[in-house]
Amino acid sequence: MRFDTDRFREIGNTLTRNKSRSFLTGFGIFWGIFMLLALIGAGQGLKDLLGKNFEGFASNAGLIIPRPTSKPYKGFKRDREWSMTTEDISILKNSIPEIDVATPLNSKWGKTIIRDKYKIEASVKGLRPDYAMIESPHMKYGRYLNEMDILQYKKVCVLGKKIYKTLFPEGGDPCGSFVRFDGLYYEIVGVDYSSGNMSVNGRADMAVSIPLSLFRKTYNSGNKVDIICITAKSGIRVSEILDKAKKVLARKHYFDPGDSNACMVLNTESFFMIVNSLFKGVNILVFLVGLGTLFAGAIGVSNIMMVTVKERTVEIGIRRAIGATPKMILSQIVSESIVLTMIAGAIGIVFSVAILAMAELAATTDGMLTAHFQIGFWTAIVAVLILTALGVLAGMAPAARAMKIKPVDAMRDE
Amino acid sequence: MLIELKDVNKTYNNGQPLHVLKGVNLSIERGEFVSIMGASGSGKSTLLNILGILDNYDSGEYFLNGKLIKGLSERAAAEYRNHTIGFIFQSFNLIQFKTAIENIELPLFYRGTNRHTRHNLAMEYLERLGLTDWAGHFPNEMSGGQKQRVAIARALITHPQIILADEPTGALDSKTSLEVMELLKKMNKEENITIIVVTHESGVANETDKIIHIKDGVIGSIEENLRHDASPFGGADGIMK
Repeated sequence: MRFDTDRFREIGNTLTRNKSRSFLTGFGIFWGIFMLLALIGAGQGLKDLLGKNFEGFASNAGLIIPRPTSKPYKGFKRDREWSMTTEDISILKNSIPEIDVATPLNSKWGKTIIRDKYKIEASVKGLRPDYAMIESPHMKYGRYLNEMDILQYKKVCVLGKKIYKTLFPEGGDPCGSFVRFDGLYYEIVGVDYSSGNMSVNGRADMAVSIPLSLFRKTYNSGNKVDIICITAKSGIRVSEILDKAKKVLARKHYFDPGDSNACMVLNTESFFMIVNSLFKGVNILVFLVGLGTLFAGAIGVSNIMMVTVKERTVEIGIRRAIGATPKMILSQIVSESIVLTMIAGAIGIVFSVAILAMAELAATTDGMLTAHFQIGFWTAIVAVLILTALGVLAGMAPAARAMKIKPVDAMRDE
Repeated sequence: MLIELKDVNKTYNNGQPLHVLKGVNLSIERGEFVSIMGASGSGKSTLLNILGILDNYDSGEYFLNGKLIKGLSERAAAEYRNHTIGFIFQSFNLIQFKTAIENIELPLFYRGTNRHTRHNLAMEYLERLGLTDWAGHFPNEMSGGQKQRVAIARALITHPQIILADEPTGALDSKTSLEVMELLKKMNKEENITIIVVTHESGVANETDKIIHIKDGVIGSIEENLRHDASPFGGADGIMK
């Protein structure tokens, strides 16, 4: 089999001979590949958009929040309030070695943050720097809280995105300026742009983070801890750790280990698992619909080629009479099919990439891409391989028919 | 002996079995100019198809150049057709979407000749047949005589030993018919190509050196026709038709 300009001229000749038919045939393939890739891109983009809600949040984090007990235990009445302290964190870390990070979080709601004439209601969080392991900050300006801030009780704060936007409508780097709340001035050291919807005691973009040590002094909270945030070491399920933690806390604070209300735990792992299984489903759907459409297109190509072969009986007969072997006829029909599929498919790929690029453009806010719609390079390569295979498959049946044409059939078919 | 048929039988099995060739015995020498005559349905086209390895036969033997042609693979048959046989058809059988020169080149394309050689050779044959100006024209832009000359060029370009012509003048008027026959005669004399013409027109047959009559699937008489007056045509002038 030779692949030279002659062959391509032969193929080009036959495909351009009936332009509208070639076009309509190719359209099936074009639409198939377009649907497949556009759906893949859209699914991926949706996943990203949904993932935004969990942005920055560790996928193996757990939260422990004390609640009033609901069962009497060891002489205590029910509905007893209890609270955790810094001591509990070290107990938890010591008794459960699978814990990677355990960090406290204290917060106050509805504080009015003021800068000059601008003000906004926000929550104030007292944090340690290792809270970044739970909810990773996305620093637009400046830095996150550090150990120095804690040790020296520095009056510094990190602003959430919305707070920054409200207090600094003119934009620019706010680091070094001051904001005021509860009668104290805090120097801004950073702006956190993470915008996940999942957050602990207030969304990240609506929170002001200050050093935990300062928070305790300011709000007289002693060594009380509102929430303990933990992450599991890799390979360990958070739910197991949380179960153990509950037992440890129950022993320490005298509540019934079987009391499911006394200690509320939240587990991000399960959220991520729900989202992941949801998108597994979406992906299966995408592939079913996309590949289905693509196959329908391929069958269309096969069908039309079948008709074409029937129409070209005389021509093929002539070719056979003057010395074309069946193999040459086969390779011609299959190549025609491949070329048609590839051209239509390539246009489909280009078109879907363009549409997805536009979707990405629409999904870009503040110069930051919020969702990746574009398909990857290898996805496109695989698509091309699928197309080639489909082209060959689509050409098979018509080519088999063409091979059966005998030179004499052509003579008779006048 | 270039062609030798021994007791060749052929039956078509389309619905009702039709015994077309009933034991044909025939031999044709190299360089002969022969016509096969017969009424329609006499089996002359079937015979030509078998000679041209376009069709197979059921029993008997067909020797071409001393080689038995039987049960050939499609590939081998295609090779024989491409290298030893040239075809000329009643309806020209040119490929409509190819120009004259592309049609002529086609057998060489299937032989694997490179483009440049093919093109030059095709131009040479176009010139010999006086069609140089028509090289880039499509078949539907040419007259019947021109189309048949293109077909002849296509048959000749592979330097075949045999040219099989199935009613080559069937679609032509008498003047161009005569021209085509003269052309075939010239090929026969100058290049010593064996030419076998199938026809039902006695005028055409008269131009050949030997007339083989076929009737009801068997060979009837074989006339030597060197004086070309075997069966005068209708009309006083003796021109075809």
